[in-house]
Amino acid sequence: MSDVEQLKNELKKLNSEYIKIRELPPEARGDFGRELNAKKQDILQRLAKAESAAESVEIKPIDISAPCAPNEPIPELHLGTRHPLMTELDKVIGIYAGMGFNVMESNQLDDEFHMFEALNFPQDHPARDGYDTFRTAEGFIPPAHTSTMQHRALKQYRKSLEQGGQIAVVIPGRVFRNEDVDATHEHTFYQCEGVFVSRDATMGQMFGVLKHFFESYYGQAIRIKTQPGYFPFTEPSAELLIEKPASLGGKGDGWLEMLGCGMIHPNVLEAAGIDSTQYRGFAWGGGIDRLVLLKYHLNDVRYFESGKLDFLEEF
Amino acid sequence: MKISLNKIKQYVQIPEEVSDEELIELIGSRLVEVEEVIDWTPRYQGVYVAKVVNCEPIPDTHLSVCWIDAGVHNARFNQLENGLVQVVCGAPNVHAGMLAVWITPGAIVPETYGNENFKLSVRKLRGFESNGMLAGADELGFDNEHKAIAEIDPKDAKPGDALSDVFDLNDKILDVENKSLTHRPDCFGLIGFAREVAGILGQKFIEPSPFDVVADAELAETGNKPKENTKSKGLFSKLKRSKSVAPSGLTVEIQDGELCPEYTCAVFELPNNQSSKYLTKEAVFLAKSGMRAIDPLVDLTNIIMLETGQPLHAFDYDKLVIVGGTEQPKIIVRAAEPGEKLQLLDGKTIECQTSDILITSNDVPIALAGAMGGKNTEIDPSTQRVVLESATFSLYHLRKTQMAHGIFSEAITRFTKGQPAAMTLSVLEEALKRLAIEPSAEIVEVAQKPVRKRITASVRDINQLLGTDYDLETILKTLQNVGFEITKITSAGTQSHSRVMEVQNRENGAADSDSAKNASLEVLAPVWRTDIHVKQDIIEEVGRLLGYDNIVLTLPKREFSEPVIDKMIELKREVRSSLSDKLAMHELLTYSFVSSDLLRKVGQNPSESYEIVNSISPELQCFRQQIAPSLIDKIRENVKSGHRDFSLYEVNQVTHKALGLTQENVPLMHTDLGIVSLSDFYHLKLAILTLLRQELKVDLGYAQMTLKSASAERFPYFEPAHSAEILVGDEVIGAFGELKASVLRAFKLTAPVSACEIELDSLLKCERKMPTSLELSKFPPVERDLTFKVAADSPFWRSLNLLEQTLANQDVIYQVTPLSVYQAKPEDTTKNLSFHIRFSNPTKTLDSQDISVIMKRIAAEAATIGAEIV
Repeated sequence: MSDVEQLKNELKKLNSEYIKIRELPPEARGDFGRELNAKKQDILQRLAKAESAAESVEIKPIDISAPCAPNEPIPELHLGTRHPLMTELDKVIGIYAGMGFNVMESNQLDDEFHMFEALNFPQDHPARDGYDTFRTAEGFIPPAHTSTMQHRALKQYRKSLEQGGQIAVVIPGRVFRNEDVDATHEHTFYQCEGVFVSRDATMGQMFGVLKHFFESYYGQAIRIKTQPGYFPFTEPSAELLIEKPASLGGKGDGWLEMLGCGMIHPNVLEAAGIDSTQYRGFAWGGGIDRLVLLKYHLNDVRYFESGKLDFLEEF
Repeated sequence: MKISLNKIKQYVQIPEEVSDEELIELIGSRLVEVEEVIDWTPRYQGVYVAKVVNCEPIPDTHLSVCWIDAGVHNARFNQLENGLVQVVCGAPNVHAGMLAVWITPGAIVPETYGNENFKLSVRKLRGFESNGMLAGADELGFDNEHKAIAEIDPKDAKPGDALSDVFDLNDKILDVENKSLTHRPDCFGLIGFAREVAGILGQKFIEPSPFDVVADAELAETGNKPKENTKSKGLFSKLKRSKSVAPSGLTVEIQDGELCPEYTCAVFELPNNQSSKYLTKEAVFLAKSGMRAIDPLVDLTNIIMLETGQPLHAFDYDKLVIVGGTEQPKIIVRAAEPGEKLQLLDGKTIECQTSDILITSNDVPIALAGAMGGKNTEIDPSTQRVVLESATFSLYHLRKTQMAHGIFSEAITRFTKGQPAAMTLSVLEEALKRLAIEPSAEIVEVAQKPVRKRITASVRDINQLLGTDYDLETILKTLQNVGFEITKITSAGTQSHSRVMEVQNRENGAADSDSAKNASLEVLAPVWRTDIHVKQDIIEEVGRLLGYDNIVLTLPKREFSEPVIDKMIELKREVRSSLSDKLAMHELLTYSFVSSDLLRKVGQNPSESYEIVNSISPELQCFRQQIAPSLIDKIRENVKSGHRDFSLYEVNQVTHKALGLTQENVPLMHTDLGIVSLSDFYHLKLAILTLLRQELKVDLGYAQMTLKSASAERFPYFEPAHSAEILVGDEVIGAFGELKASVLRAFKLTAPVSACEIELDSLLKCERKMPTSLELSKFPPVERDLTFKVAADSPFWRSLNLLEQTLANQDVIYQVTPLSVYQAKPEDTTKNLSFHIRFSNPTKTLDSQDISVIMKRIAAEAATIGAEIV
């Protein structure tokens, strides 16, 4: 037994003697108490010395490289994982929400009207071919882009325009394209749509909002550029490219195609009951999968829906 | 689509200070996505025109020893004494006196450039030294067939000329993304593409033939005098009148103007359609555009198509007459009858659909309009008379034709963009002109008058949508450069004072700046811009040609209001955070579509699922009804790769037919949480209750699932005896429990496997019970372990409830933690339930007497349910 432990035992024993004070006649109690207190002080002093002596003794270091102490079980931690796509989606909508955008849910089964008609795609227009849609026997469409939600977002929030406000909504969602799967193509993926309408929206604002988003997302100043695009539901339309960010190994030369965007076509506004002579807007949509692929330098998009824990545990 | 940059430069003067790289960058940012730039310049390095001076066959082989002369280049290679270079050649057409193409040793065979980069050397063939090779058109990348070596027309070149110089091969080919030009029929022609390039460079595009005549005619029509134009008007003015009968008697009838807005054709004698023996510049140009030379007539029609975007088709006139079976030939354009058959030029016989458009000779099909000609009127070397067609068809019908018959020719690619009807006649005339056919050729035109839309857009409209500050001059110039006409400029300062400024006047002097800022333009799009419909289309032209990248970036002014986040998105976040971050589960994403086989394995009815009719695989055929089955399907693979004791979950949308439709008549979607866990009922139960009660603070109940309960049918993969349904009041919103043995077998799993499925939509409606007040006692708690001995069939909840109830009635703050459930043998009639209790009084320290009262109370209450404290 160490000195410290011995002294602690002594102290314990001494403390238990205090109770005897009750059994003594009142006149003897004072002396008894003083004697015990003196003894106690003595023990406490010795204890303090012993403790400081014990601390100054060199302690043999443990093997910090080992997973556990000798003969002890190796400790285990059970951690959960979040899917990287969902984590990224949360981050994306978090930034937009911070900018003041409402966040809406999308539908995983939709119809021809929302997929094409409400978006100014003429009946049988070849532009519909570009989307390689799946169809159900009833003619429903698993949406090929989150733009299917544009009409709903415009209708749902047009009241705020009437009240002198704006429409600012982002809509994340799962979308589907009928294409063969390989390392760079998935039939199932995630997009985030954005819609903004006001009395004075401009294309300059659209590029400003998107640049701001990417700067927040990548945490650095980022140059953007455009190339013309064609979407029946926006006019003018463009594809937005961003300078490859430093966090992705960019050195100021490469460009990444990030999303399609444009000024909402007046027919789309009118279809949602918004007077296109009074209000203007812009919309955009971009893939989430790509953000994750780039961020983690993944080269195979098929991991995402593979359900493999080996993959998920990397995140 | 492949675009030759040199060809563009023939139409547009590129300023010297603009490098090719800058030009391509500008095209990429203002016209179309450039997917790839293929620089042809290095491809033809070391390839020269050489004269075969002497050609001696090597006996018993197909080879010949050739002595060639490539002028100054000879000296760089192993020269013979006579100064020539020796090459062994196996081509049947090699002969002395010809000009051939010599790929020198050290040069790469152009056809292999960029792939295997096959580099030639000096080597011996049958003992004869061969320096490089004499190349065929295929080896040069101009043809697919290996027939013979290429022969060069002495009129085009002399020995020693670099092939690049002769055939304009120092070129860059832009491979552009067609998708971003889907709406631009004009840009599917090189002239249209070049017009845009001029516009981007801020130059007025000089319309080449055949666009010049159309542009001039348009100006005349709109009352604006045509610009000085010394070019020949061609046949245009003479033939402008519509007529449907040619002097020879060929008539054209369009049965439905919707299908075919304009049909023109010419009948003429074909002077000579023999392919040249020489490698032609036409063949090289076609190769640059990704096409191949066929015969002079087809090549010409293809080249005109590449230049103008308007496809042409040639029929053998005499065959057409015979097929029609009448002396009075008549072309009828009509919709196909279902099941009508036609053998196409590629030899395939198609069965028509009603959406197909047919060109017929006296009602007998001779071509699938816009897609491919028929075999029965094919041009062949014996063809003497030709009908050359230049027409436009309904792009919607052609799109269906394209899909139905899988024809993706250059022609139909252009037709499905909506080629302008107004160009057909002048393109036809251009073809006749290049064929040197006399204007007396019989032309038939059946047309509807195209309606041109006048669009008004103000300077303010343009700047307000773009967020720019362009002035009137800049806008006018930008639009006029690419063929838009400004028919009227109105200063719209005030509504009552609208002032019309004639374009002509305005051009003489600058309008004052104020009225210029408010000016309103009436714009007439050129006939080839069939995509221009609304004001925004005009604004796009201005913004795009001047460069979106030049727009000053701003941010919208926003209101200071909290954004509204969809409640489901918030709930999903909470659930994920609890399950992944606290309960150590793994979040998966699996496909929304599953196989009918998977549904059957978990006991769900595939016919209840929305079925994908154009699925890429049977694995992705049915929209899933619940999440857990998809997760069950992922267990085995993960176990096989070494994972133990895991729990997987996914939050995603599900639906099935019985859920019905929303007010919008689309399937009602539910968001479900599915969980699977390699554990028994009790382990999963702890996690589920922690999630629902502790984390989400929802007051939920759960009840035993029985074989007969509706939940057993709704969650058919659970073993009811080992499962519970989750209840909000009387409503079942989910279930959890162990999987049925049959399901384990079907997925090759071993017990224990538990699962859970919860409808988050229902959960969202539940009230969250936040604690009303947090009571923490300042006084020390009392802790006791105690054991109830109860009948073996007495449910646990009864003892627990009793204990909690009793403590609640004692004015104490308490906590009950189950410790164990012990039954020594299954046949025993009693079992011991142990609890750890901890209680304290909020106002005082409990003394031994207080404690004793409480413990006695518990014992007394326990007796009422037949429990004995041991």
